[in-house]
Order: sequence, then C-alpha cells, then structure tokens
Amino acid sequence: MSGRPALRDALIALAALVVILAIPFFHRSPAFEDFVIRVSAMALFATSLNLLVGTTGMVSFGHGMFYGFGAYAFGLLMQMTDLSLPVAAVLAVAMTTIAALIVGAICVRLGSDYFAFVTLAFQMLFYSIIISWQSLTGGDQGLRGGIPRREIFGFELASQLHLYQFCAVVAVLGLLALRHVTESRFGRTLRMIRDNEHRAAFLGVVLWRARLGAFTLAGGFAGLGGVLAALFVSGAYPELADWPNSGQAIFAVMLGGIGSFLGPTLGAMILLALNDAVTRVTEYHGLVLGLVILISALGLRRGVLDYLRLIRSRRAPSGESR
Amino acid sequence: MVSRKIGRRGVLATGAAGLVAAPWVAGAQAKTLRIGMQSIISGPIALLGTSSRNALMMEQDRINAAGGFLGRPIEFVFRDSKGQPQEAARVARELVNSTGCELLVDAEASSASFAVQEVVRDLGVACLHTNSETSSLTADPKIRAPTAFRVARQGVHDAVAGSLYLADFATAKKLNKWATCSPDYAYGRDTTAQYLQFLKQFKPDVEVITEAWPKLGQPDFTEVITKLIQAKPQALFSLLYAGDLSAFVNQASVYALFSQMTMATPNVDYPVMAAIKQLPAGIQSATRYVETFPDVPENKAWGQAYLKRWNERPTNWSWQNTVAMQFYEEAIKKANSLDGKALAAALTGMKIKTPFGADGTITMREDHTTVGYALGWGQTTPKEPFIIDIKPADWGKIVEMETEWKKQQKYI
Amino acid sequence: MDFEALAACLTTAACVVTQTTSGLIVGMLLFLVAAGVTLIFGVLKVVNFAHGTFYMLGGYVAYSTLNVTGSYTVAVLAGALAMAAFGVVFERALISRVYGSNVLMQLLICYAVVLIFDDLVKIVWGPEFHAMGMPPAFQVPPLFIAGGVVPPFYAVLIAIAALIAIVLGLGLSRTRLGKTVRAAAINPQMVSALGVNTTLLFAIVFAIGGGLAGLAGALAAPVRSLSPGMGFSILIESFIVTVIGGMGSIAGALVSALLIGMVRGFGTIGFPKFTDGLIYIVMIAILLTRPQGLFGRRQ
Repeated sequence: MSGRPALRDALIALAALVVILAIPFFHRSPAFEDFVIRVSAMALFATSLNLLVGTTGMVSFGHGMFYGFGAYAFGLLMQMTDLSLPVAAVLAVAMTTIAALIVGAICVRLGSDYFAFVTLAFQMLFYSIIISWQSLTGGDQGLRGGIPRREIFGFELASQLHLYQFCAVVAVLGLLALRHVTESRFGRTLRMIRDNEHRAAFLGVVLWRARLGAFTLAGGFAGLGGVLAALFVSGAYPELADWPNSGQAIFAVMLGGIGSFLGPTLGAMILLALNDAVTRVTEYHGLVLGLVILISALGLRRGVLDYLRLIRSRRAPSGESR
Repeated sequence: MVSRKIGRRGVLATGAAGLVAAPWVAGAQAKTLRIGMQSIISGPIALLGTSSRNALMMEQDRINAAGGFLGRPIEFVFRDSKGQPQEAARVARELVNSTGCELLVDAEASSASFAVQEVVRDLGVACLHTNSETSSLTADPKIRAPTAFRVARQGVHDAVAGSLYLADFATAKKLNKWATCSPDYAYGRDTTAQYLQFLKQFKPDVEVITEAWPKLGQPDFTEVITKLIQAKPQALFSLLYAGDLSAFVNQASVYALFSQMTMATPNVDYPVMAAIKQLPAGIQSATRYVETFPDVPENKAWGQAYLKRWNERPTNWSWQNTVAMQFYEEAIKKANSLDGKALAAALTGMKIKTPFGADGTITMREDHTTVGYALGWGQTTPKEPFIIDIKPADWGKIVEMETEWKKQQKYI
Repeated sequence: MDFEALAACLTTAACVVTQTTSGLIVGMLLFLVAAGVTLIFGVLKVVNFAHGTFYMLGGYVAYSTLNVTGSYTVAVLAGALAMAAFGVVFERALISRVYGSNVLMQLLICYAVVLIFDDLVKIVWGPEFHAMGMPPAFQVPPLFIAGGVVPPFYAVLIAIAALIAIVLGLGLSRTRLGKTVRAAAINPQMVSALGVNTTLLFAIVFAIGGGLAGLAGALAAPVRSLSPGMGFSILIESFIVTVIGGMGSIAGALVSALLIGMVRGFGTIGFPKFTDGLIYIVMIAILLTRPQGLFGRRQ
C-alpha cells in the first residue's frame, strides 16, 4: 500500500510542476502568472484546512489565524532582520506551527460546535491584537513599505517570473507533503477518528493527541500559504488573519470537495477565477457569487470533485468496492 | 486502487477547470486610453468608491469632449477591491497587466492604498492616490514610490489647520478641558495624537481629561457617550466619520450631549448632514467639501452639476478625484507621454488652476503630495449651507509645522 | 489600561448608574438578535450565519415604512413582521434542504444569502448610509436618576426588550407550543413520531428568530446608521453572546448579552483600547472552563 502510491503521487506532482514551469517559456501572461501565484497560497491554505475538516472531521472557523500568522511572521522577519529569504520562510512556518500547537492544545478537547467557536474566538483575539499592537504590526495599515525580497540563488522574487516559479515549486511540494500525511498511517488514524471516534479510542488511539497533531500540521501548512501570500502582496495585512478569510478557505473546501484531496485546490481555483471574472463584469459581484454558491450548493449538495466522483462511481460497474 | 485513478483524473480535471475558468486574456492595446480605477464599491463604506467614481465619470465626459489625452479618448475601468489589501494588489496588477490600463487612479483608503503602492513600485506605472489621507504614504521616503502621487488631503495638514483653528476657538471660549473620541485604528490613533500634539503646542493649557476609543463600524456608541458625559469636559474632539459620525451624533443627541459640551470634528460633510435628521448647531467642523468654500462660482457650479447628474451631493472624495484628473491632464500635456517616469517628472512641482484650491491653484509638491487645497473650519447649522463662518487655514503655517513634524519622524 | 478611572467610576453612584444603563441598552438590543440565533440553534441545530442580514433588512424596512407612513410604531411592526415572513421563506426555500448535512454546508448557504442581500440593499437603498431620525415623541431631554442619565427612548427600548424576554421565557415554559419547541430541541424524532408537524414547527421557530432580529434592527434604526453590510458586526456579537450563554439557551443569551453590555460599559472606562480583546478573552475563558456555556446543556 505505501510504496507505489507514494511514488505515483510524486510522479503526478512532478508532471504537474513540469507543465506549470514550462508554460512561461511558450507564452508569458502576467495575469495567468498572478493567478497561479494566488492559487498556490490559497491551495495550501484550503488543503491544510481540509486536513482538519475532511480528514479528521474537525470544523475550524479560525484557520485564517495561521495564514495571517505566517504572513506576519515572514514579513516581520524579512523587514527586521537580514536573514535570507528561505531561512525567514522556514522560521515563519516553524513559528506558525508552534502557535498552532499552543492554540490546539487549548482547543482540541472541546466538542465539535464549541471547537469551531473557540477557534473563531482565538482568531478574533489574534486579529484584535494585530490591530492594537500598532508599533509592531502597523495596526490596520499592515506592514508597510514592502517586504524586501532578497535574492536567493540568483532568484529575484520581485520579478514576477521568479515569484511564479518559486510559488509553484513551494505549493506543489507542500501539497505533496500534505498528501503524504493524509495517506500515511497517521492519516488513516485521523480518518478513523472522523468516522468513529469511539472505535478509534477503543483501538488505543489517544484522541486528543492525534487531533492536536492534525491541528498543528494544518496550522503550519496554512502558515506556508501565508508566506506565499505575503510575497505576492509584498506586505502583511490584518485582513489575511480576519474571519472572512477563514470563510474563503471554507468555501474553497466546500466548493471543490471535502472528500477529495485535490478538492480544495480546485475550489480555490474556482473561487479565485469566479471572483476575478465577476468583479470585471459587475460591481454586484456579491449578488452573482452568492447565486452561484447557492445553486452549486443546493444543486450538487457537495463539492465539484466529490460530485464527479459520485457520478463516476454510479456509472462504474457495481461490485467494485470503495 | 480506484481512488488512486480518481486522484490522477482529479489532477487533470483540476488543471482543465483552471485553464477554462481563469480570465487572463490580455486586452489588446486599443486606441482608447484605458485608465484603471479601484476602490471600495461594496459594503458599509461603498460611498467612498461610488462618489469617487461619479466624479471620474464627469471628468471622463469633460476630457473626451475636449479631445481626450494625446488625441485618444479615455475610458475608465472601475474595479471593486472591497478594501482588502490582497485584493487591491491583485486588482492593480490585473488592471495594468491584462486589462491594458496605462494610468491608474487609486481611490482606495487606508491599508489597501499601501498595497497598491507596492504594486506601483514593482510595475513603474503612473498612479494617483486620490483618497488615502495617511501621511506616511508619501511623507515617509521608505514608503514613497517613484511614480505614485497623492492628490488628496493629508492627515498632518488637517491636524495643523484644525489645531490652529481650535486653539483660537478654545482661547476665545475658554475651553481648556477636552475629551477625545476617535475610532480605534491607525488613522484614528495617529491623527488624534497629531491634533493633540499641535493643539497643546498652540495652547499649552489644554488638558485632555478622558479618551474614548470605539471600534470602527461599532453600531452602538452608548457606553462611549455616557463615559464622555460623566467626564464633564468642556469640549470634545472626534475623528469619527461617515456612518459612524452620523450614528454617534444621533445617539449623543439622545443624551443631550451637545448642550453639555462643544464638539469639534474635521469630518462633517454632505452625506453626514443628509443622514442626520436633527443636525445640532454649533459643531465645529472642517470643510471636507462644501459648495460655499471656496466661495467661487466654479465650485458652486461643479457641486450643482454633480447634484443634478447623480441626485446626491458630492463628497470630499469626489473633488479629490476630479483634481487628480486635472493633474493627469496637465502632466500628460507637458510630458507628451504616458510613461510613468516622464509623468512623474512632469507632475513633480506642478501647479494647476482649480476651483478646489485655497487660492484657485493646487500644487503637487516634490514629496509627491498636494498642497494648497481648500481647507477651512467653521460651525454647523441645521440648514443650507450647513457650515457657516468658515475661516480658511494658513497654508504657510501648515507647511512650517508639517516640516517640523517630518523632522521629528526622521523623514527628512 | 486605566484602573484608577475604573475604581473611581465604581465608587461613584452616578457613574455606576449611567454605565449600567448603557450596558443594559447595548445588552438588551444584543439579546433580541442573539435570542433568535440561540433559539434556532437550540431547536434546529442550525447555526444561522445569515442572522445579521435579518437585522439589517429589519432596519431598512422600518426606514422605508417610516418614510411612507410617518409612524415609528408602524415602522417597527413592519420591520419585525417582514422579517418573520422572510424567516419562513428562508427556512422553507433554503435551510430545510440542508438539515442534517454538514454545518459547513449551512454556512455556505447562509453566506450566499448574506452576499446576495448586501448587494440587493445597495441596489434598492443605495450605497450611502441612512439614519431614520428620532421619532418626535422621544425628542425630549434625558431623565436624571441618582445622578445618572437615562434617556426616555432607551428606557422604552429596554422595557420592550425585557417584555420580550419575559414573553419568550414564559412562552417556552408554559405554552403548548413552547413545550413542543423544547421537546423538539432535545429529541426531534420523538416529537415527530408523536404526530407534531415538525415542518410547521421549524418554520415557526425561524419566523420568531427572524422577527426578533428584524425588531431589533427596526427599534435601533433611529439611533444607528443603516448601511449595506451592517449586519456583519451584529452577527459576530450575537455569536459571542450565544456561545457564552450556551447555544440554545434563552436565559443564557439574556445573561451573556447583559454581561457583554456590562463589559462594554465598564471596559470603556478601564480598558478603552482593548474592550474587544477583553470580550474575546472572556469568551475563551468561559468556553475552556465550561465548554457548554453558562446555561447550556452538555453535549
């Protein structure tokens, strides 16, 4: 079970990466490259949330806190120190992971509804700290003056092409790592908890420890997404850590499909593309986006990728187990 | 095994959907000159974007009737960033990179304007910030961008002008005990501190006996109002604005606050006056925009034309965007180019004639911000013209104090 | 932090009276909105993320009604009744389709409704903010009680909200409908098996919840600003109230709404720049020591 599928995942990831990296050599499109950069950040954010929601069955309303945390940690490290970009990024992710460990240690023992709301409360507390601690964070104006994007190995991340390549590589590697977590023994334990926590506990799983592990990992990967977001906007802003942003990740997960690994990535693409397309056409994008969400949620009753899988399984010869 | 196959198909499906859905078809360079404009056009402060847009559409008609820019008709492309910085950055890049806009009008407020600033720094396109009042956007040399300019009032100018007026007012009325009530975010805190610093400089015996810091967009100010009343100050200074100011005034009226202290705020403007049914008389306020200041026919005519076309009164944001287009018009004529660097060179130090200037002109200073715009203080009255006894500010003094402030901040 | 000011206030009768009435006003209006959230959650296990939209629409309907009829009473009734009707439509057309599914699916539906109506309000009433203006009957100077200031308009608001709290409480404990609602909250299958029309029951619950939010929006319209998207901050506050009080408990909503009101009233004196943070800390502390909230049942 373990060896070949892992290899297959790696090969798929490699193929995807080669395609993405090859595109600019045939055709340069700044808008497409911006889109991929934003999808990279959002896909990591949404997929990490789905490690909680889809894999473990923990609904967090406050995941944006770690996205924002990653962005601020990275931005501050780059502005205040002379660390090289990869070191600052790794440190930022590590700090976010520790923050997730602390918040998780307080939250994971709560029942599901209360867990959702306590994570939301932590996010709001974090947000109000960003707003209040003006001397460090710049308050609502965010980290101003740009994040110095120091050259790494000849890469100049102020250049759009290099940023595109960097984000694509980081996102694909990040998603591959998340895929690996989901498919590992630990991932199977998480799914068992989701499906029947009593059975899992009976089989010797320490529930809170497994949940805390999932929460911490998810926080770390969201932080990585935040680092990419900070690079794109060349700054960090409180909105990244605000609750509507958590909502965005939830919608990406729900639109793409909670039960498929690539569902959140697809959801992120749909959501961003939809937003970009609709805001071009009308100022009433809320109206249009709302109607689209409503129709797809009530029509499909599940995410797009989950829906496609359902259609396929209905068409597939019966008898095949899944 | 089956789920693996799906996994791969999933990859393909994901990629395909992304390719189909993403709107990145580059706009061809047309004869029409596209100008990108972004702002907040939805949510509680949509008025920021809509009243800016209204003014720009009037300018578009005027400029096209006069032959456009460099012989090309102009066309605005309006985008809503919802005030979110990451969206603002995205929109700015899209406007230039794929919509083919050759000039930008950034009508964002607060943090989103800083996000646009960084995009402009990367892209090198000409950009006029028309609504951001935060001084550091252009005053701080680390934040200033080579091709981005501000055509708007600036926080520190307001603070000097307001403090000078209020110091005189406080001396005349013997008001020494003050309270403050400003929204709890960077603009509210920084600008309140600036006002107080200058006010104490001009009138050292002023004492602040209590401060209240309501949240931005807070629906209910009751506890703040009662706190202020109990502190028994002689005067209240507030930086609340728009819907928050209107709600505060209505709720404070319930407590008869205005009979117990004098209120001073720079932010009473037409939308606030329209929304408050019982506007108390005697609130000391700056003129963000009124038809009667400067009291020249062109200003009145513009305000009436706006009212006639949009069935509402213009805002402070409306005149700022109008002046931005007047600056673009002159700079493009002078530079005979749309290039960011050429326009930046033309704009720096440029002085234009405009009815919104204190002396009929507004100047774009070397530090990329406008000076000499109409700035005055007066007091409210419940009927037209709403603000009376307007005293124009002394721009010489403003610039002198601003320079001192910039030295303190180590900007120069 | 300003502990001196806080201590000075707590030792002065006038300050205590005034800040307590402030807290009561903030708290009671918050209670009206939060009561709907908690009632709907208690019975239907649906977290109504669109509740702020009910509040917003209630205010706008009242605003327009006042412009037409000139009567504040009619305006308030119109706001409340319109939102009760809207609540039924919302439940039947949308929410009833996702009962029992993932809470995130409900969130998605509600979010879509919020987006749609924020834009519709902008289309109908325009992007600028509106204020309704104080009804002439209340344009009178405030009362002074024990040195504290109490405006008559707010005294009336508090009375109405208190009346509704009592009616809700008695209604739930004494009437047949109330008992059915409480039973449905504990065991919906059993109630359904006993022949109660749960479809009707659920619609009624949404009508009450929506009506209360609309009422709050309409009652507050004379003193608060109306703008598209104004429901968001109310939504967040009513969630805090609901969660602290215990999801599903009306008494809990009342107590915690008043608690939040008092934190506001005295926080603005002691912690003027961190009142919000203080509320979140209170919320986290309560949830950690008593996850089901002050008055909630254990899960």
